[in-house]
Amino acid sequence: MIELQERTRRISPSRLHEILREYDVQSVVDPMMGLPTHLNYLKRHGIAVHGGDLLEWFVRVGEGIVVNDLTILRDSEVAEIVEMLPGRIYPLEMFKAWEGVFFSEEQCVYLGVWHDNVRNLRSDGQTGLAVLGLWRVLCYWLFKSHYPDEMPDIPPSELAWSYIRDTEQWVMSNLRRNTVRHADVLATISAQQADALFLAPPARNAFRNVDARIWMWEAWWQGNPYLNVEHLYRNSLFGARSADEHGYTRAVASILSAADAFPVVIVQTSEARLRDVEPTVRDARPHVRTLAAGPNEIYLVATR
Amino acid sequence: MNNFGSVVALFQGGSGDPRTAAERLGDLLEWYGAVGDLASGNPRGFATRKASLAHALARTAERPDDECHAVALAGVLHAVGALENPGLRKGEALPERLARMERWDIPAQGARLCARIAALPHAVADLVRWQAERWDGTGYPDQLLWHNIPFAAHLLAIADAALRCESLDDALTTITEQSGRAFAPEAAMLFLRWYHLAGGEEEPFEFPFTALRAEATDPEELLWEIAGRVDAHNGVPGRTRRIATLVEQTMRALPARDEETAAALLAAACHGTGELAAEEVEDARFDPLARLGIDERVRNGRRAADLADLVPSLRPAVPILRSRAEWFDGTGKPRGLAREAIPLGARVLSVAIAYEGLEAMRHRPASEAEQRPLERLQEAAGTQFDPEVVRAFTRAVRTPV
Repeated sequence: MIELQERTRRISPSRLHEILREYDVQSVVDPMMGLPTHLNYLKRHGIAVHGGDLLEWFVRVGEGIVVNDLTILRDSEVAEIVEMLPGRIYPLEMFKAWEGVFFSEEQCVYLGVWHDNVRNLRSDGQTGLAVLGLWRVLCYWLFKSHYPDEMPDIPPSELAWSYIRDTEQWVMSNLRRNTVRHADVLATISAQQADALFLAPPARNAFRNVDARIWMWEAWWQGNPYLNVEHLYRNSLFGARSADEHGYTRAVASILSAADAFPVVIVQTSEARLRDVEPTVRDARPHVRTLAAGPNEIYLVATR
Repeated sequence: MNNFGSVVALFQGGSGDPRTAAERLGDLLEWYGAVGDLASGNPRGFATRKASLAHALARTAERPDDECHAVALAGVLHAVGALENPGLRKGEALPERLARMERWDIPAQGARLCARIAALPHAVADLVRWQAERWDGTGYPDQLLWHNIPFAAHLLAIADAALRCESLDDALTTITEQSGRAFAPEAAMLFLRWYHLAGGEEEPFEFPFTALRAEATDPEELLWEIAGRVDAHNGVPGRTRRIATLVEQTMRALPARDEETAAALLAAACHGTGELAAEEVEDARFDPLARLGIDERVRNGRRAADLADLVPSLRPAVPILRSRAEWFDGTGKPRGLAREAIPLGARVLSVAIAYEGLEAMRHRPASEAEQRPLERLQEAAGTQFDPEVVRAFTRAVRTPV
């Protein structure tokens, strides 16, 4: 059974929005956005949002729920994703390497079918929505292996159908231009100016221990079950320094330095990591306010 | 904030009320929760049932006392964010899709309000914020995932879902079907355990008064804040305070006893809650003095009285709210009371509400109301209103404060 992390990064966008409102922020950049549901929340509240990430599937989801203002997947289109279409040849063996290790034979076949069907969708928005909906299926399966008797058995296509249909509710327009980019932190910061920069830096060794629900979906999106996401991070700002305390601090400092033009910088951290991050933020900005919502949710709001 | 001295006296036990400060604050919070339920269209008593069931689940899970209390308090206050929500507020005609998106913010708005009530334990606000999150990340407002949702918030979500089912037997099916999707598998299993241990019997709600730091929150200030939010929700900002001021001045001009004044002010503070479930405020369709609107006034008075009747500290307002559509000549509703049989507070409150309605009508565009409100009240003295009250009211209005 694959190990799943008990706690992952928790971003509370409603709380973040309260802070942004206090500073009259109308646009925000998150260069390490991860799953961009928090950007979707801020978009819904009228803020122009710009995100970036190194993992491509996060960016695809961003195209579905951040950039996309209009496009949804209708019933007929969802039907074309969740099951095999007649007359098409599918790479049914694509995820065979996972069979018997993480998933059943049927599940691996579906992963191959979905991979192909999603790649054939007509727009980036639809692709992003499907990637998000199907990711929830993957998570369901992984949890099901942990709770075999506590979670009901649901046919893959039914589960996929309901999760993809569910994504429709997150599609809306804020009459602003919202963007996501497949890039490392500094590239995103330099490409996009905004009222605020939001940063939730990973823990120091986080890239060496990426959660299965994250790396597996990147592997699925790339169509490569052997993909090692640590390689994707290796040459990134944090990846190269993940084991080195001073290097990590320098990485945070370089982001803050690159973010000099942003009137407000909000760094989310935790009680355990506050001592690592706070001095660097205070070195970079004269005014730093600490808002502690809880031990795992501390915001450092830095202004000029 | 300018409060009313006599209500303070009532909240401090001035009327011989043996309730402690924590109990009085608790009463107010329970009423607040019921007001939130009414604004969000939940059935009567939903908040306390939710609080009770979530608390029972927390006890079954052998969670620490402070967490059990926080769960109960969050259950009570689960819907306070519904007040003023653009998806529910009167006068907002949003398309259903947009209205639904606005309603996703109810928990976050509720959390902000709870965070401002210093007497509440710190954890309550976050539980209110995350009570509608789903295990699989498709909940709202934050779309939190898995164990990032506090376990106690799952219990609130389960209690909510269970109570929305036709029966607790149906709830068993719903919750097991949604295990791993809406609910954490551990929490869903906990519900099964509770069901088998308790036989699906709901416990009566007991407010966790001891969990409150009563000295940290002024109940009267909270009362007027709630009343102000009710007004904003009803699309009549500031109305309750204006009416309460008129009531207090009139009671002083009569003069009335302190307990009567306090009860009348309490009734004034509560009266707007009766309109929460109505589509419009009562004077939107009928002239405030017209007999045509009497059934609506009776209904609103009854709804407000039923809410106030839930908690001991607000009960002095109940007879006043129930009688606010009675006429002095005995031809009013619901009981046809006449003269002194109508509580003094109700006689004063009905005049103040009518005056406020007439004033509001004058300021509406295309209003045909040319006659001055005081003249119209005087014409209704002896039939609809107590002449002595109208005289005192006129004196009070004409006397600069």
